[in-house]
Amino acid sequence: MEPILQIRHLSLSLPVKKGMVSILHDVSLDVAPGQILGLVGESGSGKSMTAFAVTRLLPGGGHEKLGGSIRFCGEELTEKSEKDMQAIRGRDISMIFQEPMTCLNPVFTIGRQMTDVIMTHQKISRAEAMKKAEDMLASVHIRQAADVLRCYPYELSGGMRQRVMIGIALSCRPKLLIADEPTTALDVTVQAKILYLIREACRRLGTAVIFISHDLGVISQICDTVAVMYSGHIVEAGKAADVFETPEHPYTRALMAAVPKFTVSAAAGDRLFAIPGIVPDPSEAMAGCRFAPRCPFATEICRTAPPSDTLTGAGHLVYCHNWQSAAPAIGVLRGKEAEA
Amino acid sequence: MNEAAEAAVRPSRWKEIWEIALRNKLTLTGFAIVALVVLVGLLAPVLAPYDPNEMNIPARLQAPGAEHLFGTDEMGRDILSRVMYGARISIAVGVIIVAVSAAIGIVLGSLSGYFGGRADQAVLAVTDMILAFPSMVLALALTAAMGPGLLNTMLAVIIVRIPMYTRLMRGQVLVAKEQQYVRAARTFGEKPFWIVVRHIVPNCLTPLMVQMTLGIGDAILIASSMSFIGLGAQPPTPEWGAMISTARIYAIDQWWYAAFPGLSILITIMGFNLIGDGIRDILDPRSRK
Repeated sequence: MEPILQIRHLSLSLPVKKGMVSILHDVSLDVAPGQILGLVGESGSGKSMTAFAVTRLLPGGGHEKLGGSIRFCGEELTEKSEKDMQAIRGRDISMIFQEPMTCLNPVFTIGRQMTDVIMTHQKISRAEAMKKAEDMLASVHIRQAADVLRCYPYELSGGMRQRVMIGIALSCRPKLLIADEPTTALDVTVQAKILYLIREACRRLGTAVIFISHDLGVISQICDTVAVMYSGHIVEAGKAADVFETPEHPYTRALMAAVPKFTVSAAAGDRLFAIPGIVPDPSEAMAGCRFAPRCPFATEICRTAPPSDTLTGAGHLVYCHNWQSAAPAIGVLRGKEAEA
Repeated sequence: MNEAAEAAVRPSRWKEIWEIALRNKLTLTGFAIVALVVLVGLLAPVLAPYDPNEMNIPARLQAPGAEHLFGTDEMGRDILSRVMYGARISIAVGVIIVAVSAAIGIVLGSLSGYFGGRADQAVLAVTDMILAFPSMVLALALTAAMGPGLLNTMLAVIIVRIPMYTRLMRGQVLVAKEQQYVRAARTFGEKPFWIVVRHIVPNCLTPLMVQMTLGIGDAILIASSMSFIGLGAQPPTPEWGAMISTARIYAIDQWWYAAFPGLSILITIMGFNLIGDGIRDILDPRSRK
């Protein structure tokens, strides 16, 4: 299917006290209608910044530098004016956030807030907008939608609020929904319901979704394609099944090894696996692969030359010099850590 | 999913506020005082036993008695009637000063806080300049420059008061604009103007409300002081400050002349301050059980 969003060689620099810091390097992504792209990575890997670059809501006060291309529905977003972007936001591209508890304005009712957004993009009366809002709430499985419309945010639970947020985000039937860790603040049972809801809405409305999360479990459950990010770079991308079945990049493997196992009475001394080292500071210049300092398989070339993309299977890209020689088993990683 | 049903059962926010207010006897007293003063002011033409400006030279400077409950002044005017009409002026002066200065301050503060940049710097510079003067001295200078009179006094006090609301609002806006719901509104494509009006201003108003109630008392006091000095309301206007000003020379022998307008000022300001403190307590989450 023709991708609705095509990001090519996106780079982003944000102003800091002394000059500029590169946040994103050469990020390329595709999202197709009705598909969910999972964007995975540690904190500070640039997942959210990629999303903000697409909506152009960057924290640089207009001084940020955006390079590369973001094509959305055949139009180049990087060339759009702020006014054009305002019309696109909410109508064509919408977003939901991590903290449903604080995403709604505490002083207005749910109905008022939903209709405000609907009426920003559609010239209809408050009553018509209210009807739409009620339908929307019903479609995100809120019972007694009419009652909820009269509620204030503090009267709703976290799960309910996230449903409302999804309702608002989808109220204008956007072509692209960006979900920035939408389930991180919710408990596991609610999380499953919200994930199901996003997936269902995406299939029903043909909305493309960028699902940002650090939780591999969540990503593997609902995503069609996955891109793994590390320190502003994409390190591996492909179909979710491929990436999770045969992770090729040492970082992806390490991430998967770091997922806690649900085992009973772990033997004493059996510690959780952690990737040694920390994510490099974005302002730190590096000639080679940015994961090299933490990579157990790094060789000389990793420290001197940036890796290029290698196609390992159908649509499965990996950015690593040594993906073939790096031992495929996660067990080796654990062994390496034990030595250290 | 019974949250909606649960929400319906929970007591409403207003009810909760009312219950806290009932627990706080001082706030209630404040409300009672202000209600009384407003009522007396509104109904002055009905309640006042005499015309406030009607002179009766033979009955001048009479002590409080059955005929004149608060006594009479040097022209034989009934002080009770003048105090009642004075309530009208003082309440109007206080409310207008606060309403106008807060309105201007809220607009300036939210714009400079939300958009920042050069305009913000300019607003800050001007507010700092005004705040650097003692407000009474600046108001005095402004009124002296514009010429004495109640209207000019009000204008001067408004100018002096604007920076206070501007600074307070700006600080609130700086916090509010980083809130998630403001970011969410932006991602939903809402226009900057509406984001300020719908999402930022309403969430910044609570401390402003406290400041405004306390401000009414302050405004009344400054305006009365200006009248006392002779720059504000001019005789024969039955303004409390102006009355005390004339009463100065009679203060030793005819205590009632200065005492009743003075008490009125005291009680009115106390009423507003009690309400202001009460609102602050009500809005403070720690005061809730």
